[in-house]
Amino acid sequence: MTDPLPSSEVAAGINGLRAYLVITMPDCLPYSAWTRAGSDISVEDSAGYFGDLVRANRQGLKSVGAWSADMQVTIEASDTLVVLRELNDHFVCCAMYDRNTALGLLRLQLKSLVDRIMAGLPQLDVEERPRAVRVIEFLERYAPDPHAVLLRVSTRTGIPLASLRDPLVLNPDQVRSLEETAARILGLEHINV
Amino acid sequence: MSRFSQFATLLEPYDLTFLAGTPYVYHCHHFNLFHDQTIDDAVGEKAGFELRARAARDAFVPLLQALFERLGATTAAEKVDIAQDLFASMGQGRLAIELGPDGTVRGRGAHLHYGFAWREKYGERVKRAFPADAVAAGLVAAVAELTAQSAGPWTASETQCVGMRAPACEISGKQGDSHGRRRVADQAAFERYLGESTGGLHEETISAIADGLQGFVRGASGDDRGLMQAFNVFVTQHFSSYYADTGFAAVKLVEAVSPAVAGSCEELLREAGHVCVFNTFGNILMSPEWEGMVGPLKGDAEEIVQGCAAIARGLGFGRWAIAEHEPGKRLVLRTQSNYEATSWLERYGKATHPRCYFMQGAAVAFMVLATRVDWAERPKLTQAYYDNLFRGKGLGFKMQSPRCLTMGDRETEIVVEAV
Repeated sequence: MTDPLPSSEVAAGINGLRAYLVITMPDCLPYSAWTRAGSDISVEDSAGYFGDLVRANRQGLKSVGAWSADMQVTIEASDTLVVLRELNDHFVCCAMYDRNTALGLLRLQLKSLVDRIMAGLPQLDVEERPRAVRVIEFLERYAPDPHAVLLRVSTRTGIPLASLRDPLVLNPDQVRSLEETAARILGLEHINV
Repeated sequence: MSRFSQFATLLEPYDLTFLAGTPYVYHCHHFNLFHDQTIDDAVGEKAGFELRARAARDAFVPLLQALFERLGATTAAEKVDIAQDLFASMGQGRLAIELGPDGTVRGRGAHLHYGFAWREKYGERVKRAFPADAVAAGLVAAVAELTAQSAGPWTASETQCVGMRAPACEISGKQGDSHGRRRVADQAAFERYLGESTGGLHEETISAIADGLQGFVRGASGDDRGLMQAFNVFVTQHFSSYYADTGFAAVKLVEAVSPAVAGSCEELLREAGHVCVFNTFGNILMSPEWEGMVGPLKGDAEEIVQGCAAIARGLGFGRWAIAEHEPGKRLVLRTQSNYEATSWLERYGKATHPRCYFMQGAAVAFMVLATRVDWAERPKLTQAYYDNLFRGKGLGFKMQSPRCLTMGDRETEIVVEAV
């Protein structure tokens, strides 16, 4: 798929940048991405997991009344600095830097990166995908034995496998049942997607 | 080697194994956890635990009775000692069983196979809300029944589980069970349903490897924790009736309650065959023990399929024979006896469609391992690799079973073909 942003230009001249992703919310799908040559980062996986992290972070901050729209998360991993920055309601930026990048420089460069991304983002309302689709994607990302998770949901809920593979056909009761089962499989009280 | 291995017997030429007359096989923790999960998916976690605990108890009772008799155990203390020792020797974990003066029966262990292995495999990914150690509960119930003053079956429940992040598993017995105790298929039952053993291609090679494996696993036993860690997995010596009876009960319930999704439950039981072959068979093929016994693994399709057939025999699944094999295109497996068929026929009579689910799934996995794994690379058999082989790009094979022992045929035949 063609990247909607000129990703090489967006990333040009930003020292220490290993990769950036623009992630759609709440679907956690990659909208635009750039990775440095030789990098083995999986764009889809990163978008899924870091998008979920932002979502969980939003929920957590909201629960303590501390959320603000310009939230930013910095993760200092052993060889990578990861910065998650909310761009607007519909997009999040995930920037990955070499671990030895100075934090001060990183902040300056992040502003530049975000400005370039914002300039290219569409000014439109993003339509949320159906809840059943998001629940199934969440389940496939986090369930134990993801290879068998739809069979498991089918066995538990009585919803035929063909319907789970085409979740748009599920009726509201089935979506509710799907969601309860997903939470049970994951050991969660409810699914936040 | 444990003191119980002297009571292990092999039913020739069917490669079926029995301990003091009770049929057993070897399965790894990946398969065990997946199997139990499927039972719980089908009947719910609480009913699933009860069903599994009963299946374990119903197999432990006749086995323990036979062992008590052969080892001359008459006192409660002797019986408890044998039961604990047996459990650990099977790789099920070390469980301390305590008979209280007030008639209570409790069990405690920090390394029970299911809870411990579940935490190891899934603990960082999912928070478990239900106990895992139904097999240990089955043992506690069996010991309670065999040492109690009053007759009748017991049940047991797990009140704390390592899988749920408790420091140790705690099991508590309770007298009485409205379901009663069911007789499991014993060696005599297996012998009733044997077809004439015909063997297959490369019989000499496969038999020789299977003999070596049978000798190797017979000498294996639980470690200090009562766990059997071998081939990069946790292995258990386990009752074949446990798998067959719980699996069939689960699928029968789904057929009765939600017939539209019975196929999903059947597919999970086949998937368990994929899980077993990928993890256990794959790790055995790449193990130093295999290299010592068979020689370095070259990795060609013929070698892998023959090796898998030998491993199935070595683990006590029955005399799986290769009737045809065109590498990458077609595999026909046959057997004249396996544990699934005996349990099905004993419980339900002739089936209307093929029910050897585990063997069906395993046969497909033979072909996947033989054609899609680069053995020379010595791949790590991880969950991600499993997903890549069995989920990511599709299997690439279709399976049918034109004949099945569960349907009263003289053998089970499984045909796997490339699509």
